[in-house]
Amino acid sequence: MKKITAIKSAFIREVSLIFSVPAVLWQILFFYLPLFILIYTSFFQSYLIFFNIMFVRVIVRSLVLAGGSAALCLLLAYPVAYFLALKVERGKNILLFLLTLPFWTNFLIQIFAWFFLLDRNGIINILLKKINLITEPLYLLNNQFSIFLVMVYCYLPFMIMPLYSILNKMDIALLEASMDLGATRWQTFKRVTLPLSITGIKTGVLLVFVPAFGEFVIPALVGGSKYMLVGSLITYYFLVVRDSKLGAAFTVVSGLTLLGCVVLFDRCCQLVSGKRKAR
Amino acid sequence: MAKRITHYLLPCFVGFLYLFLYLPIIVLILFSFNKNAFTYQWTGFTFEWYHQLLKSSEIWSALHNSLLVASISVIFSISMGAIFVFFGTKVRQLLLLFYGSLTIPEIVLAVGMLSFFVVTQVPLGITALIAGHTLLGLGYVIPIIYIRFNELDTELIEASLDLGATQIQTFFKIVLPWLMPALFAASLLVFIISFDDFVISFFCTSAASQTLPIYIFSMIRAGEMPIVSALSAVLLFVSSLLVLLFSALQIKRIGFGR
Repeated sequence: MKKITAIKSAFIREVSLIFSVPAVLWQILFFYLPLFILIYTSFFQSYLIFFNIMFVRVIVRSLVLAGGSAALCLLLAYPVAYFLALKVERGKNILLFLLTLPFWTNFLIQIFAWFFLLDRNGIINILLKKINLITEPLYLLNNQFSIFLVMVYCYLPFMIMPLYSILNKMDIALLEASMDLGATRWQTFKRVTLPLSITGIKTGVLLVFVPAFGEFVIPALVGGSKYMLVGSLITYYFLVVRDSKLGAAFTVVSGLTLLGCVVLFDRCCQLVSGKRKAR
Repeated sequence: MAKRITHYLLPCFVGFLYLFLYLPIIVLILFSFNKNAFTYQWTGFTFEWYHQLLKSSEIWSALHNSLLVASISVIFSISMGAIFVFFGTKVRQLLLLFYGSLTIPEIVLAVGMLSFFVVTQVPLGITALIAGHTLLGLGYVIPIIYIRFNELDTELIEASLDLGATQIQTFFKIVLPWLMPALFAASLLVFIISFDDFVISFFCTSAASQTLPIYIFSMIRAGEMPIVSALSAVLLFVSSLLVLLFSALQIKRIGFGR
C-alpha cells in the first residue's frame, strides 16, 4: 500500500511539470520563435551589403554614444551611490524615494521635460540672455549634444541602483580596518571599495549600455533627423520603407556587434578582478 | 581648512545631481499651468490644459487601452510565473530560458515580434500587445518570485505533502501565501512596465488601438506641448503615489533587485 502511494506521488510530481508548460510555451512562442524568424528572414538578404561605410558609421556612432553614456553615468552615479550607501544618515529614505521616482515614470515624460530647458526659446537660453552671456540663442536641441544629455539623464537611475545595492551591502568594518592600518582615504577607496563594487559597476554598465545602444525614442524626439543611430535605422527599415529582409539583417548584424562588445566587456571585468585576486 | 572643503564636496555633488534629475520635471509641471501655449515665458496661471485633457476623448480611449493591456499582462505573467516557479523549477535549466529577454535591447525583441505577427498573420493591436507585455513581464516576474520561493523552507512543503496534502493543495495553502509579497511587488512592476512601455507598443499596435505612451509620442511630435505637460504632471503624481504605496508596504527591497 505504501509503495503504491509512493509511486503515485512520484507520478504526480512528474505530471505536475505540466503546469510549468504555459510559461515555457509563452517564452518560446513570443521570444525564441520571433528571434528565430528574424534571423531566418535576414538570410534572404545578402550580408555583403554591410561592407558599406554607411552601416559601419551608424553602428560605430551608436557604440560610442552608448559607451559614452554608460561612462558618464558611471562617473555621476558612483559618488551618489557611495554617498547614499555609506555616508548619509538622515533622510536616506526620502533620497532613495526621489531616486526611484523617475524609474517609475514614463520615459517619454522625462524626455519631453527637456524641451522646456533646451528649446531655442527655452529656459536656458532665456537665462543666458538675461545675464548677457549670449546675444543669440544657442541651438541646444536636435544635435548630438542633446541626444547624449537626455540619454545620460534617462539612464542614470539604472546605474545608481545596482551600485547602491552593492555598496549598501559592503562591510564597513573592512573600510575601518583599512583606515586603521594606515591607508589614506584614496587608497582605501582604490584598494578596497572599488574592487568590491566591481559587480555593481558591471551590472550598471550593462543596464545602461545595452538599451542605450538600441535606443530610438530619444534620437527621434530630441535628435532631429540628421543623426542615424542603430535604433532609428531599424525603425526606418521596418516601419518606413518596410524592407523586412534588410531590416532583419541589419538588426542581426548590430545585435551581434552588441553581443561581441558585451562579451568583451565581461572579459575585461574578469581580467581586472582576477588580477586583483592574484596580487 | 582643506579637509573642510572635501567634507562638503560629496554632499554638494549629490545635491547638484538631484537638481539635474528634478529641474526638468519641476519646470515641466510649472509650465503645465502656463497660460500661453506657444512660448516658454510665464504669462499667467491657468487650469485650461487640464480641462482640455479631461475633454479629450482620444486620451481616455488611449488610457483605457493601456489599462486593459497592463492589467491582463499582469494577470497572465503573475499566474504563469507563480505556477512555473512552484512546479517547473525542479528542472533548473528551464529557469535559464527566461533570462534571455532582459539581455537583448527591447527594439530587437520588438522587431522580432513584429515579424512573428506578420508571419503568423495575427492582427497587430491589443492581442499582440498583451502577448508582448506578458513576455516582458515574465522576464521580471520569474526571478523575483524565484528568489522569494527559495527562501521558503522546503521542510514546510515536505511536511505538507507528508501530511497528505496534494501538490495543488500545498501550492494554494503553503506556497501562495508565502509568495504574496513577491507577487504584489512583481504585479506592480509588470503593471508599470506595461503601462510605460513604448518600444514594443510602437511596433506591435495598430492605429485603432493606441496606448497612452504612443499617444504621448504623437502629441509631442505634433507639438501639442501644454496638453502633454498637463498629462505628464498627472502621470507623475499617480506614479509617485504608487511608489509611496510600494515603499509603505516595505517591499522596495525586491523592487531594487532589477
